[in-house]
Amino acid sequence: MKSTLRNMVLSLGGLTAIAAAALAGVNLLTREPIEAARKAALREALEAVLPPFDNDITPDTIAPGIVAYKASLGDDYAGTAVESFSDNGFSGRISVLFGFDAEGAVTGYRVLTHSETPGLGAKATDWFAAEGTGHDIRGSRKPLRVKADGGDIDAITGATITSRAFLEALRSARKGLKKDEK
Amino acid sequence: MLTYLAIIFSAILVNNIVFAQFLGICPFIGVSKNLDSAFGMSMAVTFVMAVATAVTWLLQHYLLLPLGLEYIQTIAFILVIAVLVQMLEIIIRKSAPGLYAALGVYLPLITTNCAVLGVAIIVAQKNFDFLYSVMYAIATALGFGLAMMLFAGIRTQLELADVPRSMRGVPIALVTAGILAMAFMGFAGM
Amino acid sequence: MNALKVILDGVIKRNPTFVLILGMCPTLGTTSSALTGLSMGLATLFVLICSNAAISAIKNIVPDKVRIPVFIVVIASFVTILQMAMQAWVPALYAALGIFIPLIVVNCILLGRAEAFASKNSVWLSVCDGIGCGVGFTLALTVIGAVRELLGTGAIFGMQLYNADFGALIFVLAPGAFIVLGFLIALFNRFKTTE
Repeated sequence: MKSTLRNMVLSLGGLTAIAAAALAGVNLLTREPIEAARKAALREALEAVLPPFDNDITPDTIAPGIVAYKASLGDDYAGTAVESFSDNGFSGRISVLFGFDAEGAVTGYRVLTHSETPGLGAKATDWFAAEGTGHDIRGSRKPLRVKADGGDIDAITGATITSRAFLEALRSARKGLKKDEK
Repeated sequence: MLTYLAIIFSAILVNNIVFAQFLGICPFIGVSKNLDSAFGMSMAVTFVMAVATAVTWLLQHYLLLPLGLEYIQTIAFILVIAVLVQMLEIIIRKSAPGLYAALGVYLPLITTNCAVLGVAIIVAQKNFDFLYSVMYAIATALGFGLAMMLFAGIRTQLELADVPRSMRGVPIALVTAGILAMAFMGFAGM
Repeated sequence: MNALKVILDGVIKRNPTFVLILGMCPTLGTTSSALTGLSMGLATLFVLICSNAAISAIKNIVPDKVRIPVFIVVIASFVTILQMAMQAWVPALYAALGIFIPLIVVNCILLGRAEAFASKNSVWLSVCDGIGCGVGFTLALTVIGAVRELLGTGAIFGMQLYNADFGALIFVLAPGAFIVLGFLIALFNRFKTTE
């Protein structure tokens, strides 16, 4: 079709209007499911790392990147989950959600985002919760370090840097937990 | 200061946009047949990426976020980048004919260079501040330039090599890029 | 020109990945496993069919000079719709594919098909072309993902075929993407020349 200023403006304008209307419509339609999906994912992660709880947990930002979620069962304090991170991973930031029980012992964890090497550093997703090994962090109440740094946790084979970063995230989470109690 | 040095180092070498993030592969394969065009393309990308990231950052923080319109981010960013590239082309042609002669042919190709849109989106997702974002964009573009120049250098040599017929052209270029990517992995963990 | 031929051409003769070498970024970036490759392919297929149909439908009322901006707006709208739908109903997949979903906008296959085919042919044939190219792209990504997953971790679609410890990790990492794609294109060339 031949281009004139009038039909160029009309066709572009008309198309933009249609596109805007369509997008606004889809946004209205998907806004609630997106919000629900986000909440469900958070709830599922919290249930995986924390002891049983029944309250509606609200996030509480303690420091940049450190967020605490306080859980309770009935009227009793059940524990706190702390989202924490380390920028010293093998290829950048690792962020982890740690669960602590009422006495401050680790109950579980969930690696939220990472860009570690698949097959090596990426093993961090379940390495530190392997039953009956020298690298199970659950039940611990101390700031932990890898054996290479004089601590008592076995690092992931071939991924000491990732393991160090992971435990650093755990130590920051513990600091956040103490701050939250104050 | 130290943090800025760290971003630059990481964006150029550790998280190189071509070898680690797989963005901007089309120009990387398409325009790397000789050193001159690789250099021209890298310069054009650096320029556009810095300006585009600055503009989309302002758009994101002063228009989309306050109005609750984050969901149209993709469409808004690509339109801004397309318009910007057109405008830059006109401005450079009028004001700096020398520069236009060097970069002109590469400018229209940049609209569909996913690295430019990619960096704008990454910066918005990671919530960097303005200065940090622009630095990140420039460093990433320099990483792209480094990858392009290295690759162009190797490819001119490759022309002379005796390669099996079905491997000639793109296949051998990709395998070579794979070996380069392996070399770049050595920077990880630093 | 019939519909079946248009579809088959897109899958084999003009395979976007192995023949035209288009859309390299998602091809390399999302094929660390067969499943992510397949998902990325299907996402692109969806946008390609929708944008081809829409562009073909409006081809007679769009002035030539604003053709490209119009195509970009159409493609970007469908990508945004896809983004919202994925966030709402398959958030885990959306997170796994990450930045490559919004980047479908700048996938050269979409603009290329809009310009070369949809703006010249009927809606029905454009849809067929979208299906052909999209399926070709999806197949290519799935094959690359399967090869990388098998060599790297000993599994296909998560199904373990041999012990993961014997896998060569490099194939799941960045260099493996380039190398596997290079050899697959060479293989494709080989079959084409012997025919």
